[in-house]
Amino acid sequence: MKHILKNLLPYALTGSLLVLGGCANELDVKPVNTIDAGAAVATSGDVAALLVGAYDALGDADVYGGNVLRDADLLGDNGEIFFDGTFVAPDEIFRKSLLVNNNQAEVTWLDSYRAINIVNNVLANLAVVTEGDRARVEGEAKFIRGTLYFELVRNYAKVWTDGTPSANPGVPLVLAPTVEITEQAKVSRNSVGEVYAQVIKDLTEAEANLPESNGFFATKYAAAAMLSRVYLMQQKYPEAANAATRVIDSKKYSLVNTQDVFDLRVNVNGVNTAEDIFAVQITSQDGTNSTNTFYAAPDFGGRGDILIEDAHLALYEAGDNRANLFYEDNGSVFTSKWINQYGNVKILRLAEMYLTRAEANFRNNSSIGAAPSVDINLIRARAGLAAIPAASLTVANILKERHLELAFEGHLIHDIKRTKRNVGDLPFDSPKLVYPIPRREIDANANLAQNPGY
Amino acid sequence: MRKISLLYLLGCLIFCTAALAQDLRITGTVTSADDGSSLPGVSVQVKGTQRGTQTDAMGSYVVEAAPNAVLIFSFVGFTPQEIPVGNSTTIDVQLAADIRSLSEVVVTGYGTQSKRNLTGNIAKVSGAEIANTPVTTFEQALQGRAAGVQVTSLNGKLGQGMQMRIRGSSSVTASNEPLYVLDGIPLTTSDQGTSSAPQNPLADINFNDIESIDILKDASAAAIYGARASNGVVLITTKKGKSGKTKFNVSYQMGSSKPTRLRQWLNTEQYVELFSEAVQNEIDAGNLPASYLTGSTYNRFTRYAAGDRAGWETGKFDTDWQAEAFQKAPMGQFDISASGGDAKTRFFVSGQYLDQKGILVKNSFKRLSGRINLDHKATDRLTLGVNVNLARTVNGRLSNDNAFSTPLQIVALPPITPVIDPRTDELSGSYTLYYNPLLNRDFSSNVSTSYRTIGNVFAEYRFADWLKFRSEMGTDIYNLNEDQYFGKETSRNTGAPNGQGYSTWAQITNYTTNNFFTLGQTFGEKHDVDATLGMTFQKSEASYNSVTGQEFPSNAYTKVTSAANITAGSSSASNYSFLSYFARANYRFDNKYLFSVSGRVDGSSRFGANNRYGFFPAASVGWIISDESFMEAIPTLSLLKLRASYGLTGNAEIGNFDSYGLYRGDAGYAGVPGQRPEQIENPDLRWEQTTQTDIGLEFGLFSGRLSGEVDYYIKNTRDLLLNVNVPGTSGFRTQLRNIGNLENKGWEFVLRSDNTTGAFKWNSSLNLSANRNKIVNLDGQVITGGFINQAVEGQPIGSFFTIEYAGVDPANGDALYYKNDERPDGTFDRTTTNNPNDAQRVVVGNPNPKLIGGLSNSFAYKGIELTVLFQGQTGNDIYNGGGKFQSANGDFFDNQTVDQLERWQQPGDMTNVPQARLFGANGTAESSRYLQRGDYLRLKNATLSYSLPSTLTSRIKMDRVRLYVTGQNLLTFTKYTGWDPEVNADYLAGNIGLGNDFYSAPQAKTIIVGINLGF
Repeated sequence: MKHILKNLLPYALTGSLLVLGGCANELDVKPVNTIDAGAAVATSGDVAALLVGAYDALGDADVYGGNVLRDADLLGDNGEIFFDGTFVAPDEIFRKSLLVNNNQAEVTWLDSYRAINIVNNVLANLAVVTEGDRARVEGEAKFIRGTLYFELVRNYAKVWTDGTPSANPGVPLVLAPTVEITEQAKVSRNSVGEVYAQVIKDLTEAEANLPESNGFFATKYAAAAMLSRVYLMQQKYPEAANAATRVIDSKKYSLVNTQDVFDLRVNVNGVNTAEDIFAVQITSQDGTNSTNTFYAAPDFGGRGDILIEDAHLALYEAGDNRANLFYEDNGSVFTSKWINQYGNVKILRLAEMYLTRAEANFRNNSSIGAAPSVDINLIRARAGLAAIPAASLTVANILKERHLELAFEGHLIHDIKRTKRNVGDLPFDSPKLVYPIPRREIDANANLAQNPGY
Repeated sequence: MRKISLLYLLGCLIFCTAALAQDLRITGTVTSADDGSSLPGVSVQVKGTQRGTQTDAMGSYVVEAAPNAVLIFSFVGFTPQEIPVGNSTTIDVQLAADIRSLSEVVVTGYGTQSKRNLTGNIAKVSGAEIANTPVTTFEQALQGRAAGVQVTSLNGKLGQGMQMRIRGSSSVTASNEPLYVLDGIPLTTSDQGTSSAPQNPLADINFNDIESIDILKDASAAAIYGARASNGVVLITTKKGKSGKTKFNVSYQMGSSKPTRLRQWLNTEQYVELFSEAVQNEIDAGNLPASYLTGSTYNRFTRYAAGDRAGWETGKFDTDWQAEAFQKAPMGQFDISASGGDAKTRFFVSGQYLDQKGILVKNSFKRLSGRINLDHKATDRLTLGVNVNLARTVNGRLSNDNAFSTPLQIVALPPITPVIDPRTDELSGSYTLYYNPLLNRDFSSNVSTSYRTIGNVFAEYRFADWLKFRSEMGTDIYNLNEDQYFGKETSRNTGAPNGQGYSTWAQITNYTTNNFFTLGQTFGEKHDVDATLGMTFQKSEASYNSVTGQEFPSNAYTKVTSAANITAGSSSASNYSFLSYFARANYRFDNKYLFSVSGRVDGSSRFGANNRYGFFPAASVGWIISDESFMEAIPTLSLLKLRASYGLTGNAEIGNFDSYGLYRGDAGYAGVPGQRPEQIENPDLRWEQTTQTDIGLEFGLFSGRLSGEVDYYIKNTRDLLLNVNVPGTSGFRTQLRNIGNLENKGWEFVLRSDNTTGAFKWNSSLNLSANRNKIVNLDGQVITGGFINQAVEGQPIGSFFTIEYAGVDPANGDALYYKNDERPDGTFDRTTTNNPNDAQRVVVGNPNPKLIGGLSNSFAYKGIELTVLFQGQTGNDIYNGGGKFQSANGDFFDNQTVDQLERWQQPGDMTNVPQARLFGANGTAESSRYLQRGDYLRLKNATLSYSLPSTLTSRIKMDRVRLYVTGQNLLTFTKYTGWDPEVNADYLAGNIGLGNDFYSAPQAKTIIVGINLGF
């Protein structure tokens, strides 16, 4: 026994110890699918990749991938469409009876702020960016941030034209990247006025910094076009008309034939048309065209949840070739605008600039860029419709043209609110037409005040 | 070393002394009292000496001993015998098998211990108890068999994940599943599939290979598994060979299953009546135009009736869609095993083929499993061995409970829709209210195949009788392939117009090495010491890849190679490791006073750099009071033992890289690469810590005919690994932090009784457990799950937290809710409102049972045996998340449960079902309206068997012929009106997501017949 102890035990012990010694290093297991945050943004290329990440986040299905557009038309609907789907959140939006835990209101908020944080990380690392790219990177980042705050403030707060914007609570403005979660992360809501100021500041700086051409990424004119939308929302008509004019006068974009405005091909990767100022890019491998998900019939990859009612179809004048942008499937009518499930989600297109400028000029009694009737008739002519003489043009004509041209593209509720029209029996300032601050958000951050009605 | 030398010397002295006496040469054979077969490898020891031998392959032995000596014959699984030598030179011995002694050895971590000397709480379930249970995975077979162990099948889909809770939930965010260890090797048990309906990796185990399952529940028993023991540890020991004649065992069983229960749905006449009324009510209220009934609604009915107005108007179509979701579900299982060996080598080999169809269409499960367990005595001191299991399971899977394509969502289709569209003679597809799941039955496949290798090699070296060293090296290699194809007919569901294919591979390689010393010695007769000391290292390497393709030429092509468009692909990897040192010492004084300490140092790659190693100690004491002299006055009390333990365990089941600040490079956009921040750093992240106190009393009466155990425990978990909701304005949703604490307290009762002995044997076994879970502190975090589950401070985990339904306003049929505003004095405003937004959320129910239990009775007379197991739980609630669609008083066109006909119709109606209002959301908010008690008692298993008498079997050269019939889930007693009270919707199941029903399939009621042959 002694013999064995003497000879074997030390080996066994040594063997074990060797195993142990080798193993201690084995506890250092590094992630492979992800990388350490501290090393992620070191070069100009890293910031560029981060900026692309911000576009990716902007194009999320719950933001500009489609749901923000969808919900503007569901919430603003006056009986022209019918939501036939089973998802509870869009159904509540369609019925104008959002509960405080509406899931869409929650994820749109969360995903928008997720994109904003990425943008803030880009902006905090501008110093790393190659000098020649720096202005463009800054411009793109601010375009995304300004756009997102605009969507947030007009969905989660009272409309600009309701009461005093400087007194109405807007959304929290977070302008620096999150490096750690402290008490300071429990932000309060800035006023509607403050948020709009930031939106205009971001978009103005974006317009100044961005190049005229930038592939399918944001350009100087995307920023100007978004600005025109912001100013129109604020009823700042000369500013809106001017911004639209800058886009139109750039001659970078042109109206295409009605049947070419939207991607009527199916199951092929999206392309931008000459009319597109900014669109979220979708391919069969990346991105989800969520407008397709909800508006398209099952044959085209959608859920077929949003049916177009006769009330809408009846609005088109005889000969309006936009009335052809519908198809029937199993007894229900769907819009063709989102028929291609891999088609791009159009955010800004030239037609809107003409319509915005026409309305702004008309209300402002001005002719910045062009007379209102010229702009409106350009759109009408493209639709195959007769011109409306300048003398008989009314705001109603302009708004109807806008309604039909931009139907199902995410404008409806905002146009209704800024023009103080009703949705059914609900007045434009009804609390039911404003999203709740998501309940999870208030649960996580007691400094956030809830909107009236929730 | 000095002491060892002394002992050695002492041993020599004894040996020399014995040699001086005049020895006899004694020979003999040892046989089994059962069947007379010779027993090789039986230890023959001269009592009080170190002299001894073993029987050879023929069961013979030769030993020298003095006439006054006593020989001890001992062999695992048999009652030892002591025989005085006297003047005999031939001593033949028959050893009787000792079932009791087998069950009284419990497997502890890195060792075994006699139940009598145990100071911790370990529940043992023998393999024999669960053998041949007609379920796919052994956890299901454990239901109701062990105190403190709650096993829940999520639904009735085969191969689906299970939930096991040992003494309640100890975590909010990290796993609440126990650690499973098979023959010393921790298993990969977490779901590795890509569906949100979890798949169960434990279903790869053929549980007919299991010798015993030992469930370590208290800290004393579990702390040896340190940072992974908070949820208890399940030790699975597989069967070993026994020396002797090779014994074959062949079994075949077959049978079929059907749902435990169906629900009642509206027929065509009722459907048209209810929905016409729902529309008319809304027209009357001015919410729908006057033409909506005869126009839009009738058009819709006609559309759903395949364009045939008569289909709904005259009741021409009246489809029972629910029946279409189920299929005939036959099953067959073939088992074969052989075991045997000689004095040096023992083996057990087995094979199994199981082929079972699920009750839901397209659901199936097949398992092919083989095992070889071998051990060999190379020398007197060195034993080598290997245990290897190879298995392949093929699981025909279904979409998760939330998918339109899961079979049971078919009940939403109106009865006015025919199964076959008369216009095309094909399955009704594009025009149905929702996607018809039968399209998936006919035009898709979804098969998960796992290839599993679980094995280990070991060597054990006995340095001395009191010291041995064991080294084990094991792997669990789990390969999972998911292969799916969805034809173009399913495009309404997949969004892929010309077919979609999907294929994934996951490989998880799990290496473990255990190296430990075991010491045991008796000093001065009254001091018994044994100890274990060692280390273990585990590394798990997982890699995954997947590819998705669309656009297939036809349904004849189903692999992604035929896809014209590869739409997604991915590969990823994730690893973790544990390095641990453990020790345990047991000290027993005078066989009455028991002390045990154990501890483990665990290091894990999962934890933050600042907290990489943790120490988990435990201590316990026991006192066998019945062995005290003062107890001799109570001879009926054969055992009375008091034990207490206290210790610390951890929970390390979080993500592998949760402590890091991370960026992820998956944020590409239209082909341009992109990255994004994903996770906020937390270098302080550490394991959860659970301290557990357990006090137990074990007793035996009437020579052990009535025995039992009572335990009371308190488990306090602190530093909860909490996915803390952070303000979304930060760009992040959650961060994993160590915040908060919770507790589980409970009682466990176990009672076993041999009610009758003799020719008619009746044994009973009862276990009851009452666990109370309470979230003590979450630092104000609101953590939700399921539909309305929430972790609420002061409440049990997963409490149902929502607005409270107050029934129907008899005046107008409005659904009402209690406002429940808390007043300053702490009372609640019990007035009602019809606006769900005006009602405050309160705790309305609890998904955790207050009491769980099982009662098993076994009756045997001659060869006939009947075992009956009842299992049940009480005190829990179930939330039917599907209620807002299924029982929504005609809110949308989903078919409704028949109870919706009880709707309010005119002022004064007293009912709980609000007025039918199409699109009216009248009572459809998530509320306690859809909450019900989930108590149930179930005849889980009943087996009637007949074993042919040996006089008969020997004539056909058989050792054993047993015929049996078994029923699983034969009877269910419950007030729950859903399909099945044993439910937790698969896609929501989690720590918080508890007690939810969402079109979840009921459990199967299975009846099988079988035969076992032993020869």
